[in-house]
Amino acid sequence: MSPRPLVGPRLKRVLALVPYIADHPGVSLEELASRFEVPIRDLEHDLELLWYCGLPPYTADRLIDLEIVDGHVSVRFAEYFARPLRLTAAEGLSLLAAGRALLAVPGADPDGALATALDKLARVVGAGAGLAVDVGGAPHLEALRRAAEAGEQVEIDYYSFGRDALTTRIVDPRSVFHAFGQWYVDAYCHQAEADRLFRVDRVGAVRPLGTHFERATGPDDRSDGQSDQSDQSDSSDDAVTGPVFRPRPEDTRVTVRLAPDADWVLEAYPTEGARQERDGSWRVVLVASERAWLERLLLRLGPAAEVLDPPEWRAAAAAAARRVLARYRGTPA
Amino acid sequence: MTDRLERLTNLLANLLDARRPLTLEELVELVPGYPSEKAAYRRQFERDKDTLRGIGIPVQVEPLDTLGGGDVGYRVRPEEYYLPELDLTSDERAALHLAVTAVRLEGGGAREALFKLGGLEGESAAPLAALRTEPALPALFDAYRTRATVSFDHRGERRRLDPYGLLFRRGRWYVVGHDHDRGEPRSFRVDRISGDVEIGPGGAFTAPEGLDPTSLLRIDPIAFGDDAPVEARLQVDRGYAAWAIAELGDESVVERHDDGSVVFAVPVVNLNAFRSFVLGMLDHVEVLGPPEMRAAIVGWLETVAGAGR
Repeated sequence: MSPRPLVGPRLKRVLALVPYIADHPGVSLEELASRFEVPIRDLEHDLELLWYCGLPPYTADRLIDLEIVDGHVSVRFAEYFARPLRLTAAEGLSLLAAGRALLAVPGADPDGALATALDKLARVVGAGAGLAVDVGGAPHLEALRRAAEAGEQVEIDYYSFGRDALTTRIVDPRSVFHAFGQWYVDAYCHQAEADRLFRVDRVGAVRPLGTHFERATGPDDRSDGQSDQSDQSDSSDDAVTGPVFRPRPEDTRVTVRLAPDADWVLEAYPTEGARQERDGSWRVVLVASERAWLERLLLRLGPAAEVLDPPEWRAAAAAAARRVLARYRGTPA
Repeated sequence: MTDRLERLTNLLANLLDARRPLTLEELVELVPGYPSEKAAYRRQFERDKDTLRGIGIPVQVEPLDTLGGGDVGYRVRPEEYYLPELDLTSDERAALHLAVTAVRLEGGGAREALFKLGGLEGESAAPLAALRTEPALPALFDAYRTRATVSFDHRGERRRLDPYGLLFRRGRWYVVGHDHDRGEPRSFRVDRISGDVEIGPGGAFTAPEGLDPTSLLRIDPIAFGDDAPVEARLQVDRGYAAWAIAELGDESVVERHDDGSVVFAVPVVNLNAFRSFVLGMLDHVEVLGPPEMRAAIVGWLETVAGAGR
């Protein structure tokens, strides 16, 4: 048995329904049900309660006059509910932010219906240019979105961050989406013969192949793409960690001592155990799936980090530093 | 027994219809369904009032000018209750429907907002983007739109801010505005605000005219800092070129080579951040100049290389 819906949400729904019915006399229950995402049975139940609602002395002319005839609804004597309740801050913010985000996606029509709707909404909510949503872009975002939309295979140059390697592969891009501040392509990779998530900003080139792939049909056919295990890091301190990187048991655990002011690492990356020492420094266990990822982090931290364990990783930073130095000295490493 | 929805609907109708604040006694008299005993109807009414406020209904409590003193009355002012007319077209409603299905703001109330605007119209879209949300966001947004000063705890420090805007960038929310204690513009990461945001009275400040709030965002580590500005030139290999362009902007590209590498010229005012940025690209980038900046990178690398010997 499902529990009775809470009274707050029910009232909220009624207060949204009545103005719509008042503006559209004779609207069908089916239409209301789909417009307001409510089962017809709940809808009827809540609307019928309005028969007993109104103002003192609750005589016929003071009660809300709601009629349901052959599945069609009309309402009278509900002037005080004839306009909807204003938006809450959270509602106004969500709607505006969603709209502005979509408008910020490269390729959106800056003068279309969404833009004009948002202008009207912003005026009513009282939000000007101060609410700005930037989902960023990437040089090949639009090409990949087009390919995903058309179901077209593409060859991409992809920079694998964790392995620090440039690769070329043929992929079937299923969808392109933005999450954790980045754009991703969810694709079947013919090289890996498996589903992969690629970061769009690491795609160096997109070459449409003119061939099309079978599109998955059912909504549940979405792939559960595995990341290429390189996504645990970002080159800025604002690193993005989400479900995209999941530590695996076989990943190396590296124990690192961090200077007190390097504590941003704890926030930016998944750690397994962190302890502050008496002198303020930190002893943390980092999960490193790829060596290049750790090298980068250590180079950036410089004297603020020292690998304690495992022993074979103690010299990782120094080795990486010498490799980079070789480039500056114009000599091979 | 009366359904609670029925009682709440009647209560709201009476509060909206009231031309003056109504006392608790008047309300329980006017609205059917309250118990007759005082402690019981008071308790019941308080619960009802909380429910109404919980869904965003502005129930006002106002002092009554009576000899008894201390008495209060309740009402809902129509001008605070009704949504102003938006005059949305059918296309516009459909566009908003697409937007809230394409872009998900976790825990938001975008769909409920659409219900108030006349319900869902048109098709829904495939998910395209997910934006995170933060507990402090609605309060900050409310303060921004009503121009109210806020105070909050940010990384263990109490801050007072006139919020000029709320910005989403690189997967995070920031609030920007005038910091009362520092006496200058600041930006704060909203996810680092802990506890409740305290909102002062509305209309407390006016944002500088023509201000672009995004210009106050100090998150681009290279572009914000206190070091004397230096224009750095760096060459990025093919593999990193697309990413570096996205990061530094098309306008900083000065040369594109046949091997796919790209040369950038970028103003740097934060040497530490710049060094981090460059080292993140390992040996796929080279700082070409100016010489002292190149020397600083080399010096850093030599220190790290020496420590491992």
